[in-house]
Amino acid sequence: MKRNQILTILSIILLFLFLWYANNNLSAYYIRILNNTAIFLMLAASYNLINGVTGQFSLEPNGFTAIGAYTAAILTLTPAQKEAMFIISPMVPWLQNLHMSFFPALIVAGIVTAIVGFLLGFPVFRVRGDYLAIVTLGFGLTIRVVSNNTISITNGPLGLKGIENYTNLWWTWGFAVVTLIIIMRLINSEFGRAMKAVRDDEDAAIAMGINTFKIKMIAFVTSAFFEGVAGGLLAHLITTISPTLFTFFLTFNLLIIIVIGGLGSMTGTAIATILVVWGSEILRFVEQPMHIFNFTIPGIPGMRMVIFSILLIVIMIFAREGIMGQKEFSWDSLFKLFKTKKVANK
Amino acid sequence: MNTVLKCNKMTMKFGGLTAVNEFSVEIPEKEIFGLIGPNGAGKTTVFNMITGNLQPTSGMIYFYDKPIVGLKPYQVVSLGMARTFQNIRLFTNLSVLENVLTGFHHKLKYNLLDTILRLPRFSKNEKIMTEMAMDLLESVNLQDKANHKASELPYGDRRKVEIARALATGPKMLLLDEPAAGMNPQETMSLMYFIEEIRDKFDLTILLIEHDMKFVMSLCKTIAVLDHGVKIAEGKPEEVQKNPDVIRAYLGDINA
Ligand SMILES: Nc1ncnc2c1ncn2[C@@H]1O[C@H](COP(=O)(O)OP(=O)(O)OP(=O)(O)O)[C@@H](O)[C@H]1O
Ligand SMILES: [Mg+2]
Repeated sequence: MKRNQILTILSIILLFLFLWYANNNLSAYYIRILNNTAIFLMLAASYNLINGVTGQFSLEPNGFTAIGAYTAAILTLTPAQKEAMFIISPMVPWLQNLHMSFFPALIVAGIVTAIVGFLLGFPVFRVRGDYLAIVTLGFGLTIRVVSNNTISITNGPLGLKGIENYTNLWWTWGFAVVTLIIIMRLINSEFGRAMKAVRDDEDAAIAMGINTFKIKMIAFVTSAFFEGVAGGLLAHLITTISPTLFTFFLTFNLLIIIVIGGLGSMTGTAIATILVVWGSEILRFVEQPMHIFNFTIPGIPGMRMVIFSILLIVIMIFAREGIMGQKEFSWDSLFKLFKTKKVANK
Repeated sequence: MNTVLKCNKMTMKFGGLTAVNEFSVEIPEKEIFGLIGPNGAGKTTVFNMITGNLQPTSGMIYFYDKPIVGLKPYQVVSLGMARTFQNIRLFTNLSVLENVLTGFHHKLKYNLLDTILRLPRFSKNEKIMTEMAMDLLESVNLQDKANHKASELPYGDRRKVEIARALATGPKMLLLDEPAAGMNPQETMSLMYFIEEIRDKFDLTILLIEHDMKFVMSLCKTIAVLDHGVKIAEGKPEEVQKNPDVIRAYLGDINA
């Protein structure tokens, strides 16, 4: 018990030493990808909590990330910036004058998104059946139309510009680590067991005295909170957000990550996030024009999505469990692995 | 003697089909009560109504004199009623131990904050729950398989885990839906002793559905017979066995 805690703390220190090194030595391009990795890790872990652990098929990430991004951005933009930016129609006064520093803005972004999650989840989880996917999909589409039209809140199609570039490796990885710790602690508790029970057999879970409505709400609202915070981090990384930014592709990407990693496994999610985020950078070349001998193949934007879609289909057919299945990494299993290796070597 | 469960003209209609028709029964404390009947007679439906999985179309159910119609299943569980399923329903991806632990869920003594901050209340109660779950596993002789995945166990063991999980909820009454189904004669025998044992150890009142006649006849003090949703007989095993209506119901079932 003690040993494992020390090892976990050591690896987190090691991670931050690496980030410190990266921050001082790597180019802006790589730092950007490292930031993206952390944000995707937060999103994928949250997404896996509701989909993989609790087994409630949901398509919420793009909508919820949008809510978090807009909320945080509106809060950190100064009143003067907002006045200058809202040229079609002035911002509603109480929002216009609301201003916060970065950290509280992220927390409020998380809370606002959690409230949205609560309001969506409440009617959906009251009834049995797979309505969550359709409701969250609809919500993701609606949020785009709404942000386009609530001009005095979101500045409509013009979006928000000049958001301060607060997000750095410390913020993204700090939040990613905290998110993972909280989600893992939730999973390794009676709440987590109940979530998995709901996933495995909802009727039996009910018969065991589990309030399945409450358990689903806890999972969904927790996911929503961290997706909102991740949205806020994203907004302060790219500094410009608009309604077209948060498309279904984001959700699709995350779906691929959690399926590759293994539905229900946070270890798998971490591995798959790294594979997909870095893989899609490496695969950038497939969208560039290519010259093979005398032929020129024009670049096809979206080609990477096609590759990932094919990958998803292949996994669904040949490796349903993903990389980790539902297993998690643990120090004990690592030591056991070494021990059996040693025995085998003798 | 105290009446634990009282059903009064309990009826369940599925569209045009009356699965259970005005079923009434009274079960006294610490009794092992048998519910038998041909396939599709409505036995499982009776269970589902008692546990709150189905809302009866009409009729009343009292558990220790408290009306329980309209309560959610998890509320019925917290009143002290636990069940097993006809087709074993374990949480297949959880370990045997975790399956039993879910039974403690409704009296969980720590909250989300304790969980996230790993406050002393969390660790203390996890430890207590694990110990109690191990005790229950020991009473079904499965302590060695605590960390196996539930889906890895042989059939008979899965039945026992399901019963241990039901016991974890701290029931006063236990509903067993065909507990001996799929068991060989030896397993059935040991299950019989086991059921009597837990009845005495945990002070339970037991209502069980079973097709195995020998099993029901030797274990139950009173038997009710259901046919096409109607109770056609009730009484001591030897009386029920001789009842012409019951014989007809079963023979008719065979000829059909
Ligand atoms: N949820 C439901 N919706 C519609 N019909 C149902 C439902 N549940 C049960 N029935 C019907 O009610 C009747 C009684 O079913 P029930 O499962 O209670 O029988 P049973 O006595 O348990 O039978 P068995 O011995 O086969 O388990 C059957 O005709 C069944 O098809
Ligand atoms: Mg049945």
